[in-house]
Amino acid sequence: MHIKYKLILPLVFLLSGIMLYPLLFSVWLSLQDYRLTRINDVQFVGFENFGLIATDPSFLNAMGNTISFVVSAVIFELILGLSLALLIQKLVIFRGAVRSILLAPMFITPIAVGLMFRFLLNSEIGVIPFYLLKFGVSIDWFGPELALFSIVIIDVWQWTPFMLLMFLAGLEALPKTPFEAARVDGAGRWLTFCSITLPMLRPVIVVALIIRALDAFKVFEYVFAITRGGPGNSTETIMYYIYQTGFRFFRMGEAAAASILLIIFILVFVILLVNLSRPKVIK
Amino acid sequence: MLFENRTSRFFGIVAIFIAIILVLFPFFWIFLESIKPPSLGGRPDIWFFEPSWENWSEVVLYSSVPLNILNSFFIALITVVISLICGAPAAYAFSRFRGFKGARYSILAAEMMPPAILILPLFLLLYKLELIDSRIGVITAHLTFVIPVVTWFLIGFFDEVPKDLEDQAMIDGYTRFQAFYKVILPVVRPGLGAAGVFGFVLSWNDLFYSLLLTGAESRTLPVAIAGFWTFRGIELGKMAVAILIAVIPVLILSYSIQKHLIRGIGGSGVKY
Repeated sequence: MHIKYKLILPLVFLLSGIMLYPLLFSVWLSLQDYRLTRINDVQFVGFENFGLIATDPSFLNAMGNTISFVVSAVIFELILGLSLALLIQKLVIFRGAVRSILLAPMFITPIAVGLMFRFLLNSEIGVIPFYLLKFGVSIDWFGPELALFSIVIIDVWQWTPFMLLMFLAGLEALPKTPFEAARVDGAGRWLTFCSITLPMLRPVIVVALIIRALDAFKVFEYVFAITRGGPGNSTETIMYYIYQTGFRFFRMGEAAAASILLIIFILVFVILLVNLSRPKVIK
Repeated sequence: MLFENRTSRFFGIVAIFIAIILVLFPFFWIFLESIKPPSLGGRPDIWFFEPSWENWSEVVLYSSVPLNILNSFFIALITVVISLICGAPAAYAFSRFRGFKGARYSILAAEMMPPAILILPLFLLLYKLELIDSRIGVITAHLTFVIPVVTWFLIGFFDEVPKDLEDQAMIDGYTRFQAFYKVILPVVRPGLGAAGVFGFVLSWNDLFYSLLLTGAESRTLPVAIAGFWTFRGIELGKMAVAILIAVIPVLILSYSIQKHLIRGIGGSGVKY
């Protein structure tokens, strides 16, 4: 056997056991009526689970919530991250220190972030509503209208640093000559940004967007820490839905079907995003 | 022109300043909460008080948190060691040999896999093997996301090592494997360290798998933190302590790998 196959053998072996096999098991699971409460009475039901899930209003609601969450969080993070990167890049002193401080949130466990903000924004004991009230502003952060938005804010707090990290590296790697040429030609700052920085940063932006969006699809901890899907089901995300179906209602078959639908959705989403972002070739 | 520059610089610095406050304030407030005497716990209007270490001593001496820390540490450590042992040779192969384009993409795909799809089969399999509430079970689950990340991380580092290095070693009589093991690995040691730290942090931070696969014995720190604020009761001060214990080591660790992160996350897929 060629050495190159020997080198990847441990990885292939391990990943087959802990990923490929479970994945196939999951596909099998999605075709069964598999309930944790009746583990010895498992029946093959074909695609019935997929039908059940696809017409389940709470699945569609969870999908809708997740999509609005992902889109709004990622857009906020993109804009904020890019702006901060541009500002920090201009800093002459303290650049390293500022960078380190601003990157901190992305490293800590999301459950801690969720609980911290549950505490900070709580309408009875939270410090933020307390002082907002002194200015006459009364906001119920985790009420029915705002809860999902608050979860978005929390995600933005934790993950804008990721965008910042990517864009700072992207900006640093840009060649200097186009910018000098633009300055010699008397281009303003805004024009330089739109016609040089942004297009040259495009590959980094696309990668950052894809990584962040895929990660945001997995949002679970904030919901688990704060709202448990509520009020009503206004913050139930797809991960939380699958967790509920599988481990609260013990319907493993349906949960597996939902997770497979999720993967298909994500796959389509990534392919679309990659194709849309490919620069058009001009002949 | 000068004026425009000055005002825009001023607003830029103000904006950065605000961002720093927004980032630091939650940490500051949690720290304050952790040293508030329990009688003042959860009071949003108290900023100055006689600090009390009661919450800290309660958590450190009389709660399950030390066990949870040990569990988290042990699980993350083993996960990272296995990931490096399997990931490093594979990453080297992906970086050096042709014909692995598909394999590279499957690593990336594995990295993006939502945990929702793996938790159901993993739970059932571990249940059948009677490994629920065991550290081995959690390690198995954590490997599913740490291995792909570590491998992807390392490809970028191997790509930057010039090929002449192992060619030279092989001329000197090393086999390909010896060249990898004795020449290349030492060169990418910073990469191994950074990937290891990153993988450790990912495992340490995980809630989803640990929540469903652990019980009293193997419970990890994130799951324990979640237990301080449930529908049954709130223990704010202790929660604050546990959060700080979970967060501070990670912040120190990740500070040490900051400059390697970009190469790791971008892998070799992105060339800046």
